[in-house]
Amino acid sequence: MQLAVNIVVLASIYALIACGYVLIYRVSRVLNLAHGELMMLGAYMVLATASLFNGHPVVALAAAILLSLLVGALVYVFLMRKMTGEMVLAAILTTVALGILIRGLVVLIWSAQQQYPAQALGVPNPSLVLFGGARISMWSAVLVATTGLVYAALFAFLRFGRWGMRMRAAGQNPLLAAQRGINLHGVYALAWSLSTLTGALAGILMALDSGVTGGMPVIGLKAFPAALVGGLDSLVGALVGSLIVAAAEVLLIYYVDPLLSDVVPFLVLIAMLIVRPWGLFGTREELDRV
Amino acid sequence: MSEALLQVEKIEVVYKRVITAVQGVTLSVGPKQIVAILGTNGAGKTTTLRAISGFLGLDDARITEGTISFEGRRIENAPPHDIAARGIVLVPERDKVFPNLTVAENLVVPVSRAGAAERRRQDEQIYSLFPRLAELRQRIGGLLSGGERQMLAIAGALMCRPSLLLVDELSLGLAPVVVQDLTRRLLAVRDEFGIAILLVEQSAAAALTIADHAYVMENGRIVLDGDRERLKSHQDVQEFYLGQASGERRSYRAVKQYRRSRRWYG
Amino acid sequence: MFRPVPRASGYFRTGYGEDLALLQTRAERISLALFVLILAGFPFVASPFALDLACQVFLASVGALSLMLLTGYAGQISLGHAGLIAAGAFTTGILAREIHAPFWITLPASAVTGIVLGFVFGLPSLRLRGLYLAVSTLALHFVVIYLGGEYETKRGFSTGILVEPPSLAGFKLSGGHFWYFVLLAAAAVSLLICINLLRSRSGRAFRAVHARETVAEALGISIGGYKLLAFVISSAMTSVAGCLFAYYRGFVSVEAFDLFLSIQYVAMIIIGGMGSLLGALLGAAFVTLFPYAIEALLHLLPNADKLAGDIFAVNYASFGLVMILFLVFEPLGLVGIWHRLQNYFLLWPFRYRPLTGARK
Repeated sequence: MQLAVNIVVLASIYALIACGYVLIYRVSRVLNLAHGELMMLGAYMVLATASLFNGHPVVALAAAILLSLLVGALVYVFLMRKMTGEMVLAAILTTVALGILIRGLVVLIWSAQQQYPAQALGVPNPSLVLFGGARISMWSAVLVATTGLVYAALFAFLRFGRWGMRMRAAGQNPLLAAQRGINLHGVYALAWSLSTLTGALAGILMALDSGVTGGMPVIGLKAFPAALVGGLDSLVGALVGSLIVAAAEVLLIYYVDPLLSDVVPFLVLIAMLIVRPWGLFGTREELDRV
Repeated sequence: MSEALLQVEKIEVVYKRVITAVQGVTLSVGPKQIVAILGTNGAGKTTTLRAISGFLGLDDARITEGTISFEGRRIENAPPHDIAARGIVLVPERDKVFPNLTVAENLVVPVSRAGAAERRRQDEQIYSLFPRLAELRQRIGGLLSGGERQMLAIAGALMCRPSLLLVDELSLGLAPVVVQDLTRRLLAVRDEFGIAILLVEQSAAAALTIADHAYVMENGRIVLDGDRERLKSHQDVQEFYLGQASGERRSYRAVKQYRRSRRWYG
Repeated sequence: MFRPVPRASGYFRTGYGEDLALLQTRAERISLALFVLILAGFPFVASPFALDLACQVFLASVGALSLMLLTGYAGQISLGHAGLIAAGAFTTGILAREIHAPFWITLPASAVTGIVLGFVFGLPSLRLRGLYLAVSTLALHFVVIYLGGEYETKRGFSTGILVEPPSLAGFKLSGGHFWYFVLLAAAAVSLLICINLLRSRSGRAFRAVHARETVAEALGISIGGYKLLAFVISSAMTSVAGCLFAYYRGFVSVEAFDLFLSIQYVAMIIIGGMGSLLGALLGAAFVTLFPYAIEALLHLLPNADKLAGDIFAVNYASFGLVMILFLVFEPLGLVGIWHRLQNYFLLWPFRYRPLTGARK
């Protein structure tokens, strides 16, 4: 039973991170390999806002979340906008470089030690007992719920919201979208904002649960196979892919070898690339995009 | 003569800094006029249309000479969303609809400055103009037939409330009956919405049924222009674009002579 | 070989040998001879620190050249370069440790490991392109690192494997001067291999596959075969670099071969300038010397003590920043800057090159 809970928690983490990859890829065909670092930045920002809004944890959290929206838009406006129209590889490498820059800056500003935003905010993290004797920490439970909410909101927005439809349109046919008056730069900035928001949510909740260190982006990198397995442009795929990868990881760690933890997502990825490169729910044309 | 809505003056478009695709083209479109540009492949028609709508940059092309004015303001080399905002909307030749969105979603996506009530009214208007689309509201765009797709493309463009509609190769890949139907609807669009239409067409017969005025392009230049009646009765247009040979058989030498004179003249 | 502006005139070739020669003019031969003299004399006037820097640059050049071959010329994106270096280093370490193999066994063994791994890394390229290929190489990199880590923990080398210096006939070969010349030779040999490979049929096939796959296939070039060949040759070279790395450092540990190392190699070819061997060399020098330059810069600044403790983070941040700057503002890399500089002096007082037809 505890295994099942662990799988659900890990899958929620991966899913919340993976939807960030999917959002940006679906709308602008760019793979944002700085997502893990942006996620970590969100968690560190809570430390900053916690000291700023001392004694008001809710305000601090809200401020950090809003800041992440802003950061995402700024990253697009000041950096990625210059790379639209360039080779996709160049855009991806730009995000990699951005990730490296953020990593360095974070250590310089906040030091490399493990820090605990929960303590800084003064919020507790009790362990809850579920049926079957399984335990789950409070913030992990909040994370699972948040993932569900975020996905529901994203589904609704993309499906029924006017700008959500425009984002989908821009992803399918950017030229036609521009001809129909859709401001592509605005749509891309929106995608980056939303992606950074979901990433920051994941980072903050994980940090509240178990602290934050400079090594957090690794989890972001492990969530990437989850997105790819499901299909880089499919939200449903991200959800399913996360479940698969999380299940594989937890089960293999438990039954085979704990050291496998970092490599299992990539083994699943390799298997998927052999069998069905565009993922379970991805659109097939994506394969030939260079 | 009323002030022209769109005035193109002697433009020259150069691809990749070395290939001149369009030279010395001058044309004008008056308000509520339907103007057609005729010509074979490679004549420069689509290039002219792209120059007007601002999408040359993608193919590494530029307007190197001449001016384009819309409602009195210069728009050559302006960014495409700017031109769209001013009221010139293009119905492209390829990739004209959003393939993974439904028909209804295709019509929601275009951006216009209309309020919600206005948009609803527009929706009604368009569905009454294209009743077939009303039946297909939930159909995915990629699954439409050629004619339905073209209708959706025009409808999508109309949702942006243009004052000038540019249509690129309306008849491409469509059966003559469908083309006839579409051209009649374009006429209805002009009458109901009061917009001007600039049509680029390979099928001169289809275009000349609705165009008030037409230009013929060859090798990047305009070789003939006039109103519908003049073009329809012009011998060269009849022979080379409408497929109506004029009685006696032309000798080989006469045809070669004609082609030679066209090359020098055009 | 690419020349921005023709510099040789009045030299007539009277035989195929002259046509194929790498150095065509007397000026080139003289300048190369001078360059070789300088390189040869360097170790005798340089400090041990500078010597170590030069050795590191040469070592990095081998890896950079092999990656340039694979990505810059054959167009196969690879983010798993660190994994291949690790493979070569681990092969050397394992063989040296387990069976005390001498270097004239470990070196070829590393090359063989490289060939096998190159095949494995290259298999996805038969089906995938671009982003997906890069991702597959990334995944394989992690698998290799995992295997290395497994070996370390299972065999009790959790802090890494110590590798003794290579020995020949009982004499231990080590020392700054020795390594300088060995690594210089390695870099030179790699450069020559790359130059000649690119001038050969295979090299042209690589370029064709990179430019337009379908056309290349229509011309009868076996795409799968040449892609695999590119991977195999590149990986063999990289593994040999890993072997040299193991001997030079004297120490093999899986932490040294992280993703950042892969990114550094990719940065080398991007900052250097894609599609140019000179670019690989310049990029290797730039990226290798960069951390030392930053450290020196820090010492010049007034209140640097605070930052000096976090030198690693400063390196990280400035590396990311520089990489971004190059990607956004100078996509042609250092080679682009070099050619612009060359053109300025060669064309003066004119400013523009003569028209050579439609340019991209």
